Amino acid sequence: MAIAAAPAHFDEPVAVQLSRGQALWVVMKRKPLGMASAALLLVLVFTAIFANVLAPYDPLLAQPEIRLAPPSWAHPFGTDDIGRDVLSRVIYGSRISLWVGLLAVGIGTFVGTIIGLVSGYWEGRLDLVLQRVVDAVMTIPGLILALAIVSVLRPNTTNAMLAIAVVIIPGNARIVRGAVLAAKQNRFVEAAQAIGCRDYRIIAIHILPNVTAPILIIASIWFGNAILIEAALSFLGVGTQPPTPSWGLMLSSTGRAFMEQAPWLAIFPGLAISLAVFGFNLFGDTLRDAWDPRLRGNR
Amino acid sequence: MYKYVARRLMMSIPVLILSSLIVFGLMRVMPGDALTALMGESGNVSAKELQKLRKDLGLDLPYYKQYLIWVWQMVSLNPGDSIFTNEPISVALKKSIPVTLELAVLAMILGLVIAIPVGVISATRQDKPADYVGRIAAISGLSIPEFWLATLVITFAAIWFRWIPPLGYASFWDSPWTNVQQFLLPAAILGYRLSSATMRMTRSTLLEVLREDYVRTAWAKGLEGRVIVYKHALKNALIPVITLVGGQFGTLLAGTVVVEWIFALPGMGRLTVEAILYRDYPIVQTNVMLVAITLVTLNLLVDLTYAWLDPRIRYQ
Repeated sequence: MAIAAAPAHFDEPVAVQLSRGQALWVVMKRKPLGMASAALLLVLVFTAIFANVLAPYDPLLAQPEIRLAPPSWAHPFGTDDIGRDVLSRVIYGSRISLWVGLLAVGIGTFVGTIIGLVSGYWEGRLDLVLQRVVDAVMTIPGLILALAIVSVLRPNTTNAMLAIAVVIIPGNARIVRGAVLAAKQNRFVEAAQAIGCRDYRIIAIHILPNVTAPILIIASIWFGNAILIEAALSFLGVGTQPPTPSWGLMLSSTGRAFMEQAPWLAIFPGLAISLAVFGFNLFGDTLRDAWDPRLRGNR
Repeated sequence: MYKYVARRLMMSIPVLILSSLIVFGLMRVMPGDALTALMGESGNVSAKELQKLRKDLGLDLPYYKQYLIWVWQMVSLNPGDSIFTNEPISVALKKSIPVTLELAVLAMILGLVIAIPVGVISATRQDKPADYVGRIAAISGLSIPEFWLATLVITFAAIWFRWIPPLGYASFWDSPWTNVQQFLLPAAILGYRLSSATMRMTRSTLLEVLREDYVRTAWAKGLEGRVIVYKHALKNALIPVITLVGGQFGTLLAGTVVVEWIFALPGMGRLTVEAILYRDYPIVQTNVMLVAITLVTLNLLVDLTYAWLDPRIRYQ
């Protein structure tokens, strides 16, 4: 452990070293958009966790006598075609979106990181093969790939999530590999190899901490994309199945059918998707500004 | 340069073989096949007839034989027939490729026309109000689901302007005006989304380039700001933008799925999604491979453009 704790930045100019958290805080204080994104995400997480407390009605409770009621004090977002409260459904929908995003990005990032680490650290023939597989998966458009995978596994929320994870893996693996190749150039890696550290120890202690910044930045942006893909899959009818309140499903099933009579059915879930994804994209940008100026402009 | 092109071409062959295996594999492990879907529509058919149909379509052959037959069909540019409609795939593609191509090209043009000037303004006025407006608009473009925007635009155009885009598809050569009306909204929606990513890329690379020594030299020489930004800096800043745009064009060819769906345009995206839902293997396989080949070719072109734009790469 003593070796690992030794100062790692020999060749960098001695400057005030900020921890990741501090760097993020500094950037957020300077950039109001960054602070806004963090606030937006906190609201989103809070809504999802306390959905059962916040929602004024049961999201599945149908009251046909008030079907397609426009927004009012009792139902701020109106009611849908069978009289369910749209606000409550939007609130519960945050759970699906966050859950799908969390697991899809979690799995995608985890697998992608392992492939990237293996590929970037050992290089050679294995790298060549892994990178060609990554290239091959990336030639298939994300939504089509996700759609095909969901069709193989049967349409439901869990499988939509797995499909999105598969879409995330190749891009992630490529970015991690690049970061690993760069991190390997550091002298402390060479030093660790010279004193005979085992490979997995070098990867875990010396390489991994140096590639977490790009991983987290990309994860934040992918989180937003995962929510969008889940919504698109539900929109095409192969994601979350009724009657579960999912934002994409609310838009496609009732939202479009009653668009002219009851535009609130489509407006609010769409707004919820947009705000959530906006929050993640903006937060990703903020992380990038705080942690890795070189990565700026990757998208 | 020739050697470089040759090596890049060689590298793309295993990639294409792998993607063909992935698509082929995915289609075979999907539960249910086109025939069950077909039978579901036409009522009951005896097991014997089903068997015969499978045989006619070659679905009873071992997988490796099916795969080899398909690869041969692709290589000989005769992708076979759709299981569902019995129509040759080449006919279906002839109808759908122009639709998607027109949509993609229009969206790309609209996207670039918005993205590059906004990106330049944002970069040259960093952290000023114009920059904030541009960036918020760009992140919104990445965040708003296309299908939502499309639904809203259609509805409000109908409510406010009493205007509905003519349904279906009319070729530009037959009735240009109908065609423009049909493509304007979907192309604008796709273009907005594309422009977001391009604008962000333009902004950040231009910011980097503007801090480089040769730009400072240009200022020192007393050149006009406009000349420096557009002639000296932008040309270099556009290199990563070209990579992005090249990739975007490839994904657009299949990524127009949702927009084609909503605007009832019979393009490639719609064809592919319908084929997946109906388990029409030959169409899905052919379309996905076409997109894969296009993407690989575009990547190659992008790399060559790089070499053309940046002499340093050419001399390496």
